[in-house]
Amino acid sequence: MDFDIKRLGFTLLGLLIVLNWGLLMNAFMRKIGARVARRIGIPWHQPWIDLFKNYSIRSQITHGLMFYLGPIFRLSGGVGIFLFMPMIITGDHWLNYSFQGDLVLIMYFQFFGMLGMALGAGEGGHPYSAIGISRGLSQFTTIEVPLTLAIISLAIQYDTLSLADIVRAQQGGFMHWSMWTNPFATAAGMLAALGTLGHSPFNLVMAPNEIPIGPPTEYHSTFLGVLQSNGAILHVVEAALFMNLFFGGATNWIEFIVKTFLIYFWSVFVGMVFPRFRIEQSVTWFLKVPLVLGVIAVVMFM
Amino acid sequence: MVNPIHIVSIALGVAFALGFLGKRDKLSLGLVLSTLAGMVAISAGWFIHFLNSSVEPLQIFTGGFKPPFAINLQMGLAEATFTLLINVAGFLGAIYLTKELLKTGKNMMLIFLVFILGLNVMVMTRDLFNLFVFSEIQSIALAGLIILDPNRKSIPSGFKYVIATGLISSFLLLGTVFAYYFSGTLNIDFISQASLQYVKGGAVAVFMVILAVILELKPFPANGWALDVYESAHPGIGALVSGIAGTTSLFVLYKLIPVAPFISDILITLGLVSFVASNLLGLSQTNPNRLLGYSSIGQLGLLSATIGMQQLLGDKFIFIALTILISHFFAKAGLFWLSGIINRDDIKDWAMLRKKPILLVLFGVFIFSLIGFPPLPSFFGKWSLIMELSAGNQYMLVTSILIGSFIEGIYLFRWLGYAIKLDFSDLPEFKLNISKFLPTLTWGILLIATGVVASAEMEGLSGLSYWPLIFIAFIYLIDELPIYIKNTLSIAGLAFYSWLTLPELYYTDMLRFIFMGIFLIGGILTLIAGYAYKGKRRGFYPVALIMYAGLAYIIQASTTLEFFFGWELMTAGSYFLIIRGKKSINHALSYMLFSIGGAYAILAGFGITFAETQSMLIASLSQLSNMVPLVFILLAIGFMTKTASLGLHIWLPGAHAEAESDVSPMVSAILLKAGVFGLLLLMIAMGNNPQIATIAYYLGWLGALTALVGNMAAAFQEDAKRLLAYSSIAQLGYILFALAMMSHLGWLTAMYYSINHFLYKAILFLTIGAVVLKVGTHSMYKMGGLIKNMPLAFIAVLIGIIALSGVPPLSGFGGKWLFYNAVIDKHWYFQGIIVFFSGIVAFLYLYKLIYSIFLGQLKDNLRHVTDISLWFAIPIYILIIGIMIISAKPEWLLQPLGKMISQWYPNGALAWNGGLATSTYGYWNGNGVMITIGIMFTTILIWLIVLSRKAQKVKQFNIVYAAEAPQRPETTHQSYNMYAGYNKALGWIVAPKITEFWNMMSDWILSLAHFTRLIYNGNGQRYLIYILGYFVIIYFLVF
Amino acid sequence: MTQYLSVEFIAMLTGFLLMVIGVWGIISQKNLLKIVIGFSLFDTGLNIVIVSLSYVKNSTAPILDKAVEVSDAASKIADPVPQALVLTSIVIGLGVTALMLAYVMRMFREKKSLEINSYNELKW
Repeated sequence: MDFDIKRLGFTLLGLLIVLNWGLLMNAFMRKIGARVARRIGIPWHQPWIDLFKNYSIRSQITHGLMFYLGPIFRLSGGVGIFLFMPMIITGDHWLNYSFQGDLVLIMYFQFFGMLGMALGAGEGGHPYSAIGISRGLSQFTTIEVPLTLAIISLAIQYDTLSLADIVRAQQGGFMHWSMWTNPFATAAGMLAALGTLGHSPFNLVMAPNEIPIGPPTEYHSTFLGVLQSNGAILHVVEAALFMNLFFGGATNWIEFIVKTFLIYFWSVFVGMVFPRFRIEQSVTWFLKVPLVLGVIAVVMFM
Repeated sequence: MVNPIHIVSIALGVAFALGFLGKRDKLSLGLVLSTLAGMVAISAGWFIHFLNSSVEPLQIFTGGFKPPFAINLQMGLAEATFTLLINVAGFLGAIYLTKELLKTGKNMMLIFLVFILGLNVMVMTRDLFNLFVFSEIQSIALAGLIILDPNRKSIPSGFKYVIATGLISSFLLLGTVFAYYFSGTLNIDFISQASLQYVKGGAVAVFMVILAVILELKPFPANGWALDVYESAHPGIGALVSGIAGTTSLFVLYKLIPVAPFISDILITLGLVSFVASNLLGLSQTNPNRLLGYSSIGQLGLLSATIGMQQLLGDKFIFIALTILISHFFAKAGLFWLSGIINRDDIKDWAMLRKKPILLVLFGVFIFSLIGFPPLPSFFGKWSLIMELSAGNQYMLVTSILIGSFIEGIYLFRWLGYAIKLDFSDLPEFKLNISKFLPTLTWGILLIATGVVASAEMEGLSGLSYWPLIFIAFIYLIDELPIYIKNTLSIAGLAFYSWLTLPELYYTDMLRFIFMGIFLIGGILTLIAGYAYKGKRRGFYPVALIMYAGLAYIIQASTTLEFFFGWELMTAGSYFLIIRGKKSINHALSYMLFSIGGAYAILAGFGITFAETQSMLIASLSQLSNMVPLVFILLAIGFMTKTASLGLHIWLPGAHAEAESDVSPMVSAILLKAGVFGLLLLMIAMGNNPQIATIAYYLGWLGALTALVGNMAAAFQEDAKRLLAYSSIAQLGYILFALAMMSHLGWLTAMYYSINHFLYKAILFLTIGAVVLKVGTHSMYKMGGLIKNMPLAFIAVLIGIIALSGVPPLSGFGGKWLFYNAVIDKHWYFQGIIVFFSGIVAFLYLYKLIYSIFLGQLKDNLRHVTDISLWFAIPIYILIIGIMIISAKPEWLLQPLGKMISQWYPNGALAWNGGLATSTYGYWNGNGVMITIGIMFTTILIWLIVLSRKAQKVKQFNIVYAAEAPQRPETTHQSYNMYAGYNKALGWIVAPKITEFWNMMSDWILSLAHFTRLIYNGNGQRYLIYILGYFVIIYFLVF
Repeated sequence: MTQYLSVEFIAMLTGFLLMVIGVWGIISQKNLLKIVIGFSLFDTGLNIVIVSLSYVKNSTAPILDKAVEVSDAASKIADPVPQALVLTSIVIGLGVTALMLAYVMRMFREKKSLEINSYNELKW
């Protein structure tokens, strides 16, 4: 593999953009949540303050090696998805390292961070970590079903598994988007997105936090900073994934920001309206309407 | 050459002379033994004489007249063989009974001699009335022998025996006289020339004769009297009744068939009914002698059916009948003798055999011989029988023979399991009397020897070398040496064989190279772990090597016979490996039953192939044009019992979970691949047939569902090894699914998965096995927090689960990527979705595995455990290196695989550009991804180290835990029933419906067996009614 | 009709009748001794059947002497073979009957019972 300094530079720049955009979206989310609950909420720059503070704290504890590596896996997972995902489709600058692997790589690389984080939290020894992880894994199994159906439907439709090619095939106007050409896949995918983005009603995974203890309390200071960075990046790239799949991708950063914002806030708005599912409810929910939509999407292109 | 008439004369002479010896019992016994030895010598002389030259049989005329005016005896090769068998058995049987004979005195010796004499004449005579006389003499003598050991049981059963045989021989007499009336002769040859079956009354006459002989063979259900004799008489007598009296009756039947040729067809039916029914009834027996009686009657049924099939079997008849007969002859007598040695009334007490391990080995040889495992003679007999019957399109017969054999396998292996596994500490010590041991040992050795002789007679077995088996025998002989010697020798043996075979295969046959590599290299690696064990580990190495030899034979086989030989050898070896586990008794049995069932399906499939193509080459499978789907299904079922596909999987979890730590990887990572190899061979041979595509479609679904159920069940396990076992089921489901796609990418996936599964499942099972050895439990919730004590094990499991889960950058991802492409390419979307779904379910159990054992809370009792044994770590880390290489350079593996698969499926191959693989749909650069992720991970790691270099290590309970402090690790370790919510949502998928189904089947069969055996109500009169009824019913069936 | 009144036919009929009676006795009587007697009857009937088969009308005993010329022996004498057979058969029958009686004695000594139903211990 030839070392390409220009590509690395653009990629790092993209990462910076995505990180900041993610932090800003976080602030928006919390602001909206506060306003819905008739509170004032945080200032828009609060995430940067938090991040800066966390990275600056110099008193840290660790439960062991795996505990220490957990956040690293987590952030690597987020950054990795970013690396293998084309951001802006025009030109070659913002395709990152998507030439190394296709959609399947992105699908499976999601697990890298999850698994590493789960292991790290596991070594923390806190029972609530394990409870949260077991719920998260359970829920994730069925979220993937409609999502995979949607992706397969797209792969048949566009005859490719390359995300960049899928985006290219949607260029040429609104009418070429998968949303329009493959509405069932889009519907299934966007319902699955509610699960992957992890807001209510599918946030039982993080519920142990609300009893104000649990993994995030174990992971404090620098570790928390790493996790927050990852959260910001991951939210954007997850949204970017759906954007690329269903909404024609982005040809410039403005388009990127608008689309990811809308996709992300689709889940935030749903979360504001709907109460939380119990775990067995959320597990089975994805096997009902989203599954049927996904099946229809595949059947349409068989 | 001594005239065979002297067999009669010296026996009679000595019998009379005994009367003059007074009370000198020892002298009498000596005389009897030397007489028997003399009889052996005479028949042996004739046997050798006839063996070396094909001369006409010798006719002996008594009274100076030629038949039909006088009685004549005949001595040919057949008679010489049978008298030899009778006399040798008589001689050894007398030695065996030395103590009893001395106790009862010379009258019993006299009777014994007369009994043997009667049998000899029955074999040699060509005169019907003479036959009647000597069969009466023989049965009166036997009636005397039954009360060699007079007790409350044997006396009434002797009475039942006398009245039953009295009735039966009256039929014989009546038939004989009428046959004489209609033909004017008593000579068998003349009667058969007279063709009495065309004369109205004559047909009835010969019918009576032949039916009397059939009744002597104790057909179901007219055999209650015989069962009682088997149960109550001294086992030494039981051995004679079952072994030589039965054999003689069979020979008489064979001799008399020409007299009443019309009986052949019905004889087949009667024999097979008896075979299946007796074996069925054997299922509910607990008394060893009665059980042997049922088994004996079953074998006699099979053999009399074989005699009825003489026309069907053609040239092969002698070979088939003789091999099966000899197996029965040696094995049944041997088993009765063993029963006499330990002298217990319950088969569960046979665990006593373990006090003298050589007896257990003999027991195993006898049992395996009855079922027909290689290299014992009945294996070849049954093989040829099935082949010839299939060639004659007698599929009903094939089916019933296989069903009967299967049922026989159930109780024989249950029994063997008892002997191998049950606790024997409460059972009494016993002395191994040399006079009882020697005959039994001789029989065992002769059995193996005849097997070797029989194998030399087989066509299509020339490709196999016997050297591995000789090596194994050598390893068995040095079983008393310490582990490290045997282990080193075994590894050396496997290494030598690898060196012998692998380089050549690499250049000639990639497919076989890969599987041979998995089998042999995997064998070496798993054996290395054996150094961790202490002591002698008796019996482990021979059986492990038998399994590996079987696996190697499967690869090297070029004919179906060689393949089946290897297959059965592997089954036998793995059975013994599995049953070594502490609680494995039932699991080993169900493994064996599924294996036998599968093996019979394979046998039937090969039979049909042979029938059409007249060739035993494996390649002939591809020339088949009729019944292709049936053959395919039969063989696929056979192979899928090894891959443990859904429905045939219930044996696996227990068998793998309870096996010893280094056996689990052998039977999981390595053994299951034999099924994959079989399926591959099958699909390569038959894949072009359009009908197969439909079946493969359903196999695909089956594979997908197997994957789902396997993974989901794994997620709900609390036992670490059981979890891995279910995971194996699922992984083999993926492989089945991928194979069934029958496309380039599908097979590439299957091969890639096979190799990968070998690597990571061996790592996981070895590691977990090593951990189990240290912590002493399989239950994960009893472990926890072991990462600090066992970093080596943790890293190994971590790599293992990442590779298994398919998370990039390790090798498992390649499988997933191939899967997506293959599924889309094949348009199997919905099956594919199930497979992907189950792939994600795998995360549940993988996390549970690593978390429950290594993370979470360390238990107090495990604070001082140390890391896994180095001898386990060595193979584990060698395998990890393998995974790393495949992960970093997948093209090194995928390119040769692709080239290999292109010979069958040239379309749809991956295009390679350096490390970048491109399919029709996607692309993947394994090497690049590895580097990218590596750099990124290291960067982030360095960054975090810079930021938090001073992180302070805290103690186990230093966690934020509401307002209370966690006190006990047990209450803080969240592991038991970890996925309760998931179980509530989707647990219905793994409701044990299939296990319930099989349990229902077995309950049903057992209650059928129980109800049917109630016909034997113990009343001698009832037994006579059965005999009469049998006679009448068969009469109306024939005429 | 006359053939049914011939000696050999009547003998054979008697023989078979005895056999049937014997079998009936064996399977219906509960007393061991009666069973043995039934067996004896059966045996006797069987022997009578055998003898009846060798009968040739108006013939003499199968002894070659002055009364019978060798040349026409075949038509003049009864068939000697069944007669020889029946002798053997009688001897064997005797042996078997003796054996049965011996067994009955032993059984009676063990259990003090002659009922066949009391010897049903071994079953299934």
